Amino acid sequence: MKHAMDTELLTALGSALVQGSLTDPELLRQTDGGPVERILPEVNVVKIGGQSIIDRGRKAVFPLIDEVVRNLPRHQMLLGTGAGTRARHAYSVGLDLGMPTGVLSVLGTFVSMQNARMLHYLLARHGVPFIEPAQFAQLPLYLAERRAAIFFAMPPYTFWQQNPAVGRIPPHRTDTGAYLVSEVFGARSMIFVKDEDGLYTADPKKDRDAKWIPKITVAELLAMDLQDVVVERAVLELMRNARLQRSIRVINGLVPGNLTRALEGEDVGTLISAD
Amino acid sequence: MPDERHHVSSFLMRESLVDKDVMASTDSRTPPVRMLPDAHVVKLGGRSIMDRGRSAVLPLVDALGDVLTRHKLILGTGGGVRSRHVFSIGLDLGLPTGVLAQVAIADALGNAHILGTLLAPLGVVAIPPELFGHLLPLFLRGAPGVIFNGDPPYSLWEHPPGIGRIPPHRTDAGSYLVAECFGCKSVILVKDVDGVYDADPKENPGASLIRDVGVAELRNRRVRTLPFDEVLLDLLERSRLVRSVQVINGLKPELLGAALAGEHVGTIVHAD
Repeated sequence: MKHAMDTELLTALGSALVQGSLTDPELLRQTDGGPVERILPEVNVVKIGGQSIIDRGRKAVFPLIDEVVRNLPRHQMLLGTGAGTRARHAYSVGLDLGMPTGVLSVLGTFVSMQNARMLHYLLARHGVPFIEPAQFAQLPLYLAERRAAIFFAMPPYTFWQQNPAVGRIPPHRTDTGAYLVSEVFGARSMIFVKDEDGLYTADPKKDRDAKWIPKITVAELLAMDLQDVVVERAVLELMRNARLQRSIRVINGLVPGNLTRALEGEDVGTLISAD
Repeated sequence: MPDERHHVSSFLMRESLVDKDVMASTDSRTPPVRMLPDAHVVKLGGRSIMDRGRSAVLPLVDALGDVLTRHKLILGTGGGVRSRHVFSIGLDLGLPTGVLAQVAIADALGNAHILGTLLAPLGVVAIPPELFGHLLPLFLRGAPGVIFNGDPPYSLWEHPPGIGRIPPHRTDAGSYLVAECFGCKSVILVKDVDGVYDADPKENPGASLIRDVGVAELRNRRVRTLPFDEVLLDLLERSRLVRSVQVINGLKPELLGAALAGEHVGTIVHAD
């Protein structure tokens, strides 16, 4: 059989890709030529924390749900859910029993899914659907029709979750999954709803002297080499290579009005930007 | 301030899973179990093997028929030229990396079904990706081998790469990650070159073969092209169970049995 060398291809880049090596940096640079289309430029990806919001129950969740509903006429939202304390329990038991990182990732997905289902039932009367990864093809219709959808924010890596550099907990969890959705769709914004006012120099739950940081770049943040950070470190690493979603906002979802302000593009919480 | 979050008691309770000390503490727990310690993962290249058609594939199918009588195999396939073509069209249309990753899965899956058709008399078939991970140990108990599309299910959640827009986690990475998670015995990448060279052997006839190399050393040598996904180096560095892969030449099908028997017949790339 003939090799594909003499196939007619649409572009010179096409020929180079068919014939060349996908590890060749020269060739890879050529693939960055044109602009990237924004698939869903109107949608705001909103990640709702597991331990920080959902595990607090109705006291934290109901006002936030109300705020989501109030914003539906003005803003499209794709709501991702974190996992929280049950994931920590599952990881603890799993680590004690020698579960590999890929299996821990499956366990984390289940908890994130529980949270998505619960929020889904609270939003069901507004016609907001819950979608699993296999249903993302329907997302544009749901957003056009209902203005919002809920998904579990754990990326669907399951057994293919990579080991972390240190430890065994899956490095790509719900912050990462939500962020990557916002990047691939070229979303209008990526908002992380947590229970702190944003990024601090240390964990404000443990350190009274922790200082709030309203605005910072990824490079500055990585240079600080903090003991703890308000979002998964993988998000910061991915932001450096992002083509479309060059900034994220972390807000305190326990404060009424913060989500609305973030959706309106106001300066609330911490803005972390790639540039 | 009272903690108004409601916790389930565990050693990670209340902890930030981003905190460095918390992360490090999880390394001292029970070592990861090996789910499939006797199985090997063998990845057959897309462009390097499958796209060559019968001249390359049929001798390898014969070799596989032989080794499947002695070894349990998890066979991954690459997407080959069709994946490169769909990348080029997708790039021209301005589609992001995650979309390229999602559409390319179909090419490796097609090759998995081709291989599954040829190995069907042995009971070795392509398993749909949705079933593959969870049922893998069961399938492997019932058959001498299984076939999957080597792609990891990253799809829309693929990472934007450092250079360009091609999905970085392709079928070599996906095959390796299966072996690492399931604690398999070895990973063999079957290509159309004898292993890793100090320069691209297709462009430099004088390139010399590197028989054995660590990840750090391979990075330092700054070889311009590698015969496998570059991200595999990062994955190997962070491996817990499968600390090396062997790249062999599938155009010499007798090497497959030798590699499965633990012989060093190509290039071994190891984490240390």
